[in-house]
Amino acid sequence: MADLKIVDARGLSCPQPVLEASDLMDSLGSGRIEVLTDCGASPENVGRAAKAKGWRLVSSAEESGAVRLVLEKP
Amino acid sequence: MNLFGFGKKRRAPDEAPASPRGRGVLAFAHTAEVIRAEAALKAAGFSVRVMGPPPDMRTGCDMVVEFDLLREVAVRRVLAEAGLDPLAAAPVRAGMLAPVSLFSTTDFGDWLMVRAANMKITIARADLRIVNISGGGCPDVPALAELLVGRSLADAPAPLSRGQTLCAYSLELAFQEARRLLKVSA
Repeated sequence: MADLKIVDARGLSCPQPVLEASDLMDSLGSGRIEVLTDCGASPENVGRAAKAKGWRLVSSAEESGAVRLVLEKP
Repeated sequence: MNLFGFGKKRRAPDEAPASPRGRGVLAFAHTAEVIRAEAALKAAGFSVRVMGPPPDMRTGCDMVVEFDLLREVAVRRVLAEAGLDPLAAAPVRAGMLAPVSLFSTTDFGDWLMVRAANMKITIARADLRIVNISGGGCPDVPALAELLVGRSLADAPAPLSRGQTLCAYSLELAFQEARRLLKVSA
């Protein structure tokens, strides 16, 4: 199984979590990634950007003041 | 040598001067009035711009309308006909802090972010796609973001054609400024 790629965008302000996640999605093309963000509106924005690229939001969970998003594209 | 201004290039009657000299700003109580004033004055053929107020002219509303001071009487007439009564009108004088641009841009390398007042739009330079919309807090922002993210700046609908709030208006300004900066035509 390929390594799970993680974008740790904690401490970054909007729109940087979206840009970091977009960069990884573009470079991978498909697969499964995790995005960690603690910026207020970013989970929603990352999910929206992922959807626009054909990725699916698998899960979203809060942990230690941040949100962990799992995104997937077959 | 140029005596008494002879030989100077004449300016078209409604052409905005390049310098702030001859320009004035109108302050209103609410941003909604600024938007209505801009629309009424543009519809009447005036050259106006929505700007941030000079720091010494803050009224509680974070936008002013910049206009050609020589046409103040006509401007006020149009505003009165639209039921608008500005709180203040002041010349942009030398030494006075000029109205500030509502726009700020941040270059993220492959992406350009344009901010207008409380709204931000981020564009991928490579394909001119809208990658993010943020800011606001108005009820129509999520729907606008859903509509615009992933679409090209060239064929995305203008935010104000779908939104009704001040956030939609700010986003419209950012959207049009992004188009201007990235040389995108609709």
